[in-house]
Amino acid sequence: MRRFLVLVRKEIRELLTPQMLVPLLMIVAVFMFIGNVVEGEMDQEDAAQRVGVIDLDGSELSARMTGVLSESGFQVVDLESADAERIAEELLARDLTYGLIVPEGFESSVQSGQVATVETYGVVRSFSFAALGQAEALNRVVSAVSESVSVQLVSQGMPGVDPAVVNQPVQNVEHVVVGESEAQVPVSAVYGFITNQTTLIPIVLFIVIVFASQMIATTIASEKENKTLETLLASPVSRTSLVMSKMVAAGTVALASAAAYMVGLNSYMTGLTGGAVGGPFGGAEGTSSAIEALGLGLSTIDWLLLGATLFVSILVALSLSVILGAFAENVKAVQSLLGPLMILVLIPYFLTMLTDIESASPALRTFVMAIPFAHAFTAAPNLFLGRYSAVVLGIAYQALWLAGLVFAAARIFASDRILTMKLSLRRSRT
Amino acid sequence: MPQEMLRVTGLRKDYGELEAVKGIEFSVQAGEVFALIGPNGAGKTTTLRIVATILRPTAGSVTVAGLDVADQPAKVRETISYLPEEAGAYKNMTGEGYLRFVADVFYEDRRRRAEALARGLALADLGDRIKDKCGSYSKGMTRKLLLGRTLMTQPRLAILDEPTSGLDVLNALEVRDSIKTYARSGSAVLLSSHNMLEIEYLSDRVALIHEGRIVDSGTAPDLKERYSANSLEDVFAEVAR
Repeated sequence: MRRFLVLVRKEIRELLTPQMLVPLLMIVAVFMFIGNVVEGEMDQEDAAQRVGVIDLDGSELSARMTGVLSESGFQVVDLESADAERIAEELLARDLTYGLIVPEGFESSVQSGQVATVETYGVVRSFSFAALGQAEALNRVVSAVSESVSVQLVSQGMPGVDPAVVNQPVQNVEHVVVGESEAQVPVSAVYGFITNQTTLIPIVLFIVIVFASQMIATTIASEKENKTLETLLASPVSRTSLVMSKMVAAGTVALASAAAYMVGLNSYMTGLTGGAVGGPFGGAEGTSSAIEALGLGLSTIDWLLLGATLFVSILVALSLSVILGAFAENVKAVQSLLGPLMILVLIPYFLTMLTDIESASPALRTFVMAIPFAHAFTAAPNLFLGRYSAVVLGIAYQALWLAGLVFAAARIFASDRILTMKLSLRRSRT
Repeated sequence: MPQEMLRVTGLRKDYGELEAVKGIEFSVQAGEVFALIGPNGAGKTTTLRIVATILRPTAGSVTVAGLDVADQPAKVRETISYLPEEAGAYKNMTGEGYLRFVADVFYEDRRRRAEALARGLALADLGDRIKDKCGSYSKGMTRKLLLGRTLMTQPRLAILDEPTSGLDVLNALEVRDSIKTYARSGSAVLLSSHNMLEIEYLSDRVALIHEGRIVDSGTAPDLKERYSANSLEDVFAEVAR
């Protein structure tokens, strides 16, 4: 055991190089920086939505409209342009993003039961996500105006009737059924909650697998290239210890890296969504009781099962990387050799994200679920839906893969193949 | 009578259809330096790797201190130390850290680890640079560090593949002296080299290996006399043709 720990310590020390740490910390810092910048920009946008207004009607209704704009969080700026043709110039000159023209005869049109028209202007200065958010604000301006007019009309024409009832005379009370449970909650809220809970799990898994695989395959290729592996193979340490120490070290460093990435990614996502998503495991508070009633929360056992399938997936990737790394003649060859592994991870990653594997054709479902990583990607949805047998069978299937791959890796290290096995890509192309 | 430390009998090694070693036989006694010389691809490194338990023989047997390398590789590894040709050290470790790692791998006992480390530091003889990372070492410094690593565990059989490859004259002389001194302490050394002067200086006996077979062996003076040659280089050239 002491020798094993000596090997693990050596492996971790070799992995934690400035070349590995600096890019990692830089990426995390960049994620956090972007998140903070985007969040700051959005806060700024929320705080100062300035709308330039030209009121050519000068009526009580038009005056009330500008009041509604102010109440809705917009800062109303009176434009000096006397006509509509010069409004664009003034918007640009005064650095305004929105413009609103209330034409002459606006109030009289409304009162005579005709459709009244207002004109809005949106100044596009960029095509960023932040600018997209600004465009949404423009729609809010129109909605606020329309709602105001609607309330005015209902109040005048139908005294004693709640304008809200006229605006939305039919209300949809949504119910969601999951298995035998039922709750009164919008379907979109449930989907949003589950998505918030599960979105980052495959991302974490993907990052860890990519990171750990590259590390372990690179360390093996590097040891072969430097011939330090030959020295180790002639030392009094078991071949299994050599393989396992590399796997434990790469797995540990990869998990730590993933945690660091998550901190950065969480900050980024929070900034991007303005806190709406609420981080990786956040959710809308109003739906939490309904989620509980539907049995969609994760219990301790659920989390343990989820952890188990993620852990076994990482070990499967590591053992596969040991074998692929053994094929590498040098460090440069590692990237090419890891290609098949990346494809094996990407296929279930995208298919489980974009489609419902359960309702896919038998051929596609069999193909995807034959890939051991697919069970980690489908585990969270299965646990939410109480499909425990699918999760447990998935873990068992992954464990079979792991046993086979560890056996194969140990056999390779215990035989000549670790030194003689190589894949000549150049030769295979000719 | 000196103890037989290594015996190679009818050794064969195939890589698929390629026969790298075709039934070679030799033995090395304790306190003896035995050299394998031959052209590139003759089978020297393959033989050394088999003795070092890294490769398995296709046929024949190899015993180190009476232990069969194929049947008892773990026990054999406790009695040998192997220095591969053009090997490197872990670039992010210091020289001292590397030697400490090797001591930790070889010994359970804390005192023996400390003694081995002290021997390794003395053999490497890198002064203050031993505290620097191996990645900053020159080829010569790396080779001296690795020789220190190889001999610090006091193996009963040291297997050295091109021990002075790439070293300048002064560093090569130091390394040769270390090897000779080590052999005098009673351990056996099996080495391979392309440097015939080095072979003459270091070796008690030499085996000429060509196309996977040992074509002749003996002491350097015997071989020179047998081939009417002035130097081992001439003997080598005669055999290689």
